[in-house]
Amino acid sequence: MKEITLRVSRYDPAKDAEPRFEAYTARVNEGARVLHALHAVHDEHDPTLAYRYCCGSGQCGSCAVRVDGTPVLACTAEARDGMTVEPLDLPVLKDLTVDMSPVIAKIARICPAPDAGLPAKEEIETIKPLRDCIECLCCVSACPALQVTEFAGPTVLRQEMRLALDPRDSGDRIGDAIEKGLFYCTTCKRCTEVCPKKIDVPGKAIEKLREIANRRGLTLPRHQEVARLVQETGRSVERTQPTFLEQVPEVIEPDGPVRGEVGFFVGCMFNGRVPQTALDAMEVMKRNGIRVIVPHDQVCCGSPLIRTGQTSFLEDLKRKNIEAFARRGIETVMTICAGCGATLKNDYETPFTVKDVTEILTEYGIEPPAKLDVRATYHDPCHLLRGQGISEQPRALLRQAVREFVEMPSQCCGAGGGVRSGVPEEAKALGAKRDEAVKATGADVVVTVCPFCEFHIADCTDVPVKNLTTILLEGYKKKDAERKGSA
Amino acid sequence: MVLYNAPTNKMLVDEIVDAHVLVIGSGGAGVRAAIEASRYGGVVLVSKTIAGKGGCTTMAEGGFNAVLRDRDSVLVHREDTLKGGAYLNDPALVDALTREAPERMADLVRWGAVFDVTDDRMVAQRPFGGQRFPRTCYAGDRTGHEMIMTLLDRLDATDTHLYQEVSVVDLVKDESGAVAGAVALDRDGSLVLFRADATVLATGGGTQAYDISTNSAAGTGDGFAMAYRAGAELIDMEMVQFHPTGAVYPYDARGRLVTEAVRGEGGILLNARRERFMERYDPERMELSTRDVVARAIATEVLEGRGTNRGGVYLDVTHLPAEQIEARLPVMLEQFLTFGVDIRREPMEVAPTAHHIMGGLRITPECRTTIPGLFACGEVTGGVHGANRLGGNALADTQVFGKRAGEFAGKAPERSGRIDPARVDEVTRMLDAFFEGAISPAEVRKDLKLTMWNQAGIFRNAPDLRTALTHVRRLADRRLCAASTANLLECCTVRNMCTTASLIVRCALLRPENRGAHVRLDAETATTDPARSPFGHTYVSLSREGIERREVPA
Repeated sequence: MKEITLRVSRYDPAKDAEPRFEAYTARVNEGARVLHALHAVHDEHDPTLAYRYCCGSGQCGSCAVRVDGTPVLACTAEARDGMTVEPLDLPVLKDLTVDMSPVIAKIARICPAPDAGLPAKEEIETIKPLRDCIECLCCVSACPALQVTEFAGPTVLRQEMRLALDPRDSGDRIGDAIEKGLFYCTTCKRCTEVCPKKIDVPGKAIEKLREIANRRGLTLPRHQEVARLVQETGRSVERTQPTFLEQVPEVIEPDGPVRGEVGFFVGCMFNGRVPQTALDAMEVMKRNGIRVIVPHDQVCCGSPLIRTGQTSFLEDLKRKNIEAFARRGIETVMTICAGCGATLKNDYETPFTVKDVTEILTEYGIEPPAKLDVRATYHDPCHLLRGQGISEQPRALLRQAVREFVEMPSQCCGAGGGVRSGVPEEAKALGAKRDEAVKATGADVVVTVCPFCEFHIADCTDVPVKNLTTILLEGYKKKDAERKGSA
Repeated sequence: MVLYNAPTNKMLVDEIVDAHVLVIGSGGAGVRAAIEASRYGGVVLVSKTIAGKGGCTTMAEGGFNAVLRDRDSVLVHREDTLKGGAYLNDPALVDALTREAPERMADLVRWGAVFDVTDDRMVAQRPFGGQRFPRTCYAGDRTGHEMIMTLLDRLDATDTHLYQEVSVVDLVKDESGAVAGAVALDRDGSLVLFRADATVLATGGGTQAYDISTNSAAGTGDGFAMAYRAGAELIDMEMVQFHPTGAVYPYDARGRLVTEAVRGEGGILLNARRERFMERYDPERMELSTRDVVARAIATEVLEGRGTNRGGVYLDVTHLPAEQIEARLPVMLEQFLTFGVDIRREPMEVAPTAHHIMGGLRITPECRTTIPGLFACGEVTGGVHGANRLGGNALADTQVFGKRAGEFAGKAPERSGRIDPARVDEVTRMLDAFFEGAISPAEVRKDLKLTMWNQAGIFRNAPDLRTALTHVRRLADRRLCAASTANLLECCTVRNMCTTASLIVRCALLRPENRGAHVRLDAETATTDPARSPFGHTYVSLSREGIERREVPA
């Protein structure tokens, strides 16, 4: 047996004005789960503690709670000393129990056609990954879209796709899905991250439903415009100024000896809308001895099309991009856009390795820049954090470049999944939440590694937003100026 | 309406609900019963949890036995079931089970269940212990979950009224002594009275009475206890199936089911010396012997010092291709990964765990119990599985007898609607008394579970059983204390667990032989051919108890 301390949210709406935390010391065995700690509190301290549980083995979805802010199943998450246990972010009935029924009621039921037979094996296999849901509602608790829209919730949309895939079902799943907020999902993948069954709702349900919607002509007009632009120009951003590709040669040699070589996939945002940031990144590469090859025949990665379900000419884009780099014998392709990086890594099968700029710089190691005299915070781009599993590298680089680094709770800024263009009011509301979070850190600057996040957060806060490579470059410039001053 | 209005009652009924059919329990059997009964209208389903989350069906991993192939036959399924059940099964119930399982499987598929299928578009089947044909249909290793999701879809299409997180605490009767509904507590501890023409008990099992159990927290034997108090007869309550493979780590989650599908897929059992010990217990069927045999083999290995440090043996699938494990045993893979064991690379550690109660309410094939107005289906009943249940037969049981219970309850005649006020009075008095109790239900529960595990577990003898019975009765007499109205339910539950435990022990004392899951180390005769046993069912009710004798076939 061992002793752990935990804080538990207590709330009885009939008596209390608001929830409060109570601290407990619980005796549990080695390997105990959160649920066992709650049992210990209930059995030894306070039998009135209200919490749900049933199967105790991660199969029924009764016991989801938030531990230190993250939704988990109490019966499978290990109990940690010092943890804080709160109810899911749903209406609280008492203590840790929440009202699950309104969400569960939104989960569609199959309407079997009377003559329905058994689906074929392939059909079963495509349905299965969407069938594991135990309706624990972790995803609903964690979904940012739900905070600001009438989005019915990730698992509700998951079920629409599960039914759309079943030949026995006779319902109109696309109509339902759109009504339930199909276009509200930013594809941030927070739902997948907290899902005990790791169901890829954005990839296997949202984007697929949007594809079917697209085939039925139900794509949002703003998204259709983007698709038209990509089809006509190969780019998802209109040319309003000289592009990055127009400004750089095919090969950018480093200042000093060559320590490495990468191909560079620039992406539409950095190419057309904020080329200066990409140019800054090139300076950082030069400074650190990395040769950059920039195939000028690269095109849009297709991310805006995949996220919005407009995949009819996606294969063409993929082929062009793969050829552009493969033909030049490039082994490592660097992205500086989180969205492009996640797409190349997850939606492509490439003969080369794809790495984010922060991975490249971390692997080679950078010349230390002078520290900028600012307090900086970092915004995790969804497509970097969850799309590529990268969180430490950008932080480590940033710590080298600023006086003070402060963490900010990670949440989607609202720009992704076609939401900024398709549902601007949602994007704005999520952006406003980022503004609050930024302000709470007291940071002088917000640093990120995604042009969509950068552009969008900049629209939503008056604190400056900068790309990490821009910060590094500023550090180098400061270093040079200091050297010059002292010389 | 004639309802009590005695001024002595502190507690009044807060709500009255009328139904034609009242179904108690939201597992596979209860939901199936409600679906069927809804054809006759006026169905109320009461679930002590959020529907679909509470019963053991949703946790069932392995599968559903049904004869679907020409090479298989209902007769063979019947024989396998009787043999597995040590010929203690009620043959008429086995007939119904094996004959109707294929139709009930077809219902599920028609209603949208996502079972695994073969290349030629048939429901896939795998081998399970004690069966001569691979007839266990499955949806990966989350078969029960798949069934429950499908059944809830179907239930939603009926006009059944669903009461969730409302827990029945006792059955009530009319003036003629027929069951006429039930009294329940809602989440806040308010009292709800359900009145019905027919009541279906589908409350599942009760191996939570044991320290180590696979059951969900809801498996506390409420149905056994409530029916017993109402005067129904129960049979074969000593027949508790110990599943051979429960997890042993982490300690607080001990007993968690490791599905038989692991062995069905080719998993092997090894003791701490890495010997494949099943060779010594059942060289023919090895790991796929019946559950009683495998459970005793593992328990013996551990008792004789050949177990692991944590008191288990190894269950190993590392010789299987990783893809097979990922595709066929995803839940197992995920659960063990959570606890730091990658079953693709290292063996699991397992030990027996109390899993299923084969005994229960005596029923007819129409699911009628021994008291009028009360029907029962699923694990709360006895007789279907005899002395040992075959893996895959429980899910089939829920569907076959759920459907039957729903049908015959639906066809039941209208009753007076009157309730015997004395019964309701009794319940309110009992609940009131909990506010003046002295001992925490948690303390009694813990004591009870250990007593049952240590003295009425896999290996039994009369002195231990008598000690257990005395202790369980003492525990049942403790004055449980409710800290708030919301805690009343916990007191009721612990009371039910004590009742269930005493029924198990009483029946265990009544059966002097080794039969199926019931092992009496002090049995007078060595194990003989169970088909020739002179004993039939044990039975127990408020008015009588005993063991049936039967003609020994020549």
